[in-house]
Amino acid sequence: MSLNNASTRLSLLALALMAVLPFVLPKFLVLQLGVALSFAIAILGLNLLLGFAGQVCLAQGAFFACGAYTTAILVTRLGVDPLLTLPLAAAVTACMGIAIGLPALRLGGLQLAIVTFGLAVITPQLILKFDGLTHGVTGISFEPPRPPGWLPVGADTWLYLIGLIAMAVCVLVMRRLLAGDTGRALRALRDDPLIARSLGVNLTRVRLSAFAVSSAFAGLGGGVYALLNAYVSPQSFLAGRSIEILIGAIVGGITSIAGAFLGALFVVFVPEWTADFSPALGGIIYGACLIAMMVTARDGLAGLCLRALSALKSWRSRTRSRRPPLTSGPAPSNLTQETKS
Amino acid sequence: MQLLIQQILDGLAAGAIYGALALALVLIYRATRIVNFGQGEMATFCAYTAWQLVQWGWPLWLALVATAVLAFVLGVVVFRVVVRPVSGAAVETIVVVMLGLFLLFQALCLWLWGSDQQAFPNVFGSAAWSAHGVQLSAATLGTLATISAVALALGALLRFSRLGLALRAAASDRDKSLLVGIRVETMLMLGWGLAAMVGFIAAALVAPRLFLSPLMMAPVLVYALAAATLGGWDSAIGAVVGGLLIGVVESVGATFLTFIGAELRLLIPLSVTLLVLLVRPAGLLGRQVVVRV
Repeated sequence: MSLNNASTRLSLLALALMAVLPFVLPKFLVLQLGVALSFAIAILGLNLLLGFAGQVCLAQGAFFACGAYTTAILVTRLGVDPLLTLPLAAAVTACMGIAIGLPALRLGGLQLAIVTFGLAVITPQLILKFDGLTHGVTGISFEPPRPPGWLPVGADTWLYLIGLIAMAVCVLVMRRLLAGDTGRALRALRDDPLIARSLGVNLTRVRLSAFAVSSAFAGLGGGVYALLNAYVSPQSFLAGRSIEILIGAIVGGITSIAGAFLGALFVVFVPEWTADFSPALGGIIYGACLIAMMVTARDGLAGLCLRALSALKSWRSRTRSRRPPLTSGPAPSNLTQETKS
Repeated sequence: MQLLIQQILDGLAAGAIYGALALALVLIYRATRIVNFGQGEMATFCAYTAWQLVQWGWPLWLALVATAVLAFVLGVVVFRVVVRPVSGAAVETIVVVMLGLFLLFQALCLWLWGSDQQAFPNVFGSAAWSAHGVQLSAATLGTLATISAVALALGALLRFSRLGLALRAAASDRDKSLLVGIRVETMLMLGWGLAAMVGFIAAALVAPRLFLSPLMMAPVLVYALAAATLGGWDSAIGAVVGGLLIGVVESVGATFLTFIGAELRLLIPLSVTLLVLLVRPAGLLGRQVVVRV
C-alpha cells in the first residue's frame, strides 16, 4: 500500500479531515458522528459479507448487540479497561459469527435471509431472557473512558477519536483482505460458487472467514457504540437495528468502502431530518427514499458519486478537446497515424 | 390432558393466522420469486382501513368487502410501482426494497392512526362453548373455517381453472408463456392482488385477538416465514398446513417447555425454520428442486 497510490492518498486525506472535525463542530454533532462511525464499522462488515462474499445476512444488528453487551459486561463486571474491551468484543462476536456461519454454509440466498431475519427479531428477547448477565430491561450503564492526561481534548472528542481509530483499523484490514488472493476468492464465491470450487477455492473456509471478519467488525462497532453512549439496553438492539445496518450498506454502495461512511451518515441523519417535518412522516419518507434509491441507483450513493465524477471527467475532456491546441505542435491526427503504422 | 387439548386448539387457531399470511407470502413467491417482507404491514394497513370504515358508520360486512377490493388494488399498485422496476435485480436489492415496503407501510399506519391499540370488531361474535374443560370459541372455529375455505378456493383456482393455469405458467417460465400468448404482466399483477387480499384476510382475523396496532403483524411475519418454509415455498396447501403445525408446536412447546417461557416464543419458529432448511429444504409439501450443474 504505497503512498503513490491515489486512493491511498485520498483515504489519508479523508482520515486527516475527519480527525480535525471534532474541533470545529458543536459537541452534539461530534457525538452523532461518533455513532455514525460505529455504524460505519458494522456496515463495513456487512459490505464484506454481502457485497464481496455474497451472503445475505440480516443479523448484523445481533452481532452489533453482542459486541456492545460484551463491552458493557466486561467493563462493569470484570473491570476491564474500556479500550481493551474493544478487541475482546470483536473476538467474542467473531466466535458468534462462526457459530452462525456453520449452518449458513448449507443455506442459499433467500433462506439465509429468512433465518438471519429471525435471529435479528429474537435478539432483544434473548437479551431480556439472560437478564442475570444483561440486567434485562434496565440495561447496563458505566463510566465512559476518560481522555489520557497528555491529550488536551474533551471527553466527547476522545470518544469520537476512539471510533475514528477503530474505523481506520477496519478500513486497513478490509483493504488488505480485498487485495490479492483473499479478495479474488471472495469475489469468486459471490459470483459463482460452483466455478470457484472447481478452481480450488475452499468455500467452507472462505465463507466462515467472511462471517468471522464481518461479525468481528460488527462487534467492534457495537463496542464503540457502547462506549459512546456509556449505556446499553435491549431497546437499542431491536430488529430495526439490523435493518438499519443493511439499509446503510445498500444505500451507501454494497461494494464500496467509502460507501460504508455514506450509508452510516444516511442512517444516522436522514431519519432525524425527516422527523423534523413530522414525527411519523419521518418513517414514511425514510421508507420511500429507500425504495426510490433502490429503483433508481443500484450502486448506492457511492456509485452515484462515482458516476457523477466520471461524467464530470468526460465532460471536461470533451470541452478540452474542443478548444484549439495551445502549442504549435503537431495536430492530434498525426499521432493516430503514427500509432496505426 | 385437558391442557394439552386446549393448547392444541389454541395452537390451531393461531396457526390458521400464520398459515393465512404464509399463503400470501407463498402466492407472491410463486408468482414473482420474491419474499415480500412487507406483506404483514400491507395487511395491517388494510385492516386499519376496514376499521376506519366501521368507525365512520359502515356495516361490518360492507367494510370488509370494500377493503378486500382495496387490498387487491393495493397489491396491484405495489407490484406496478415498486416490484416491476427491480424485478431483474440482485437478491439483496429486492430484499431491501421489500424491507422498504415494510418500513413504509408501518410508518403510514403510525402516521394516519397513531400508535395506540384499537379494538377491532369480532367478525364471528363472541360465543364460546366448553366441553370437558376444553374451551372452543366461535372466533377459533370461524378462523379455521375461513382459512380452510380460502386455501381450498385458491388451490382449486390454481389447479382446475384456465386462469390458474395461466398464473402458474406465468410464474414458472415468463418467456415461454409470452410465446404461448399468456399476458404475463397481467398474471403477475393478479398474483400480487390475490396475495394482498389473502394477507388482509389474515390481518382481519388476527386483529380482534391481538388488538389493532401498527406493529401487530410484525411478529406474525416471523411465524409466517417459518410456516412457508415448513410447508414448502411452492405449495399453497403446504403454507396452511405448515402454519397449523407451527401454531400447534409453538403453543404446546411454550406451555410444556418451561425454559422457553414467554420471551423466547420466537425461538420455536426460528428453530423449526433452521431445522427444515438443513434437513429438507423443499419443505414438507414442496417440490424438490433439481438443478443441473
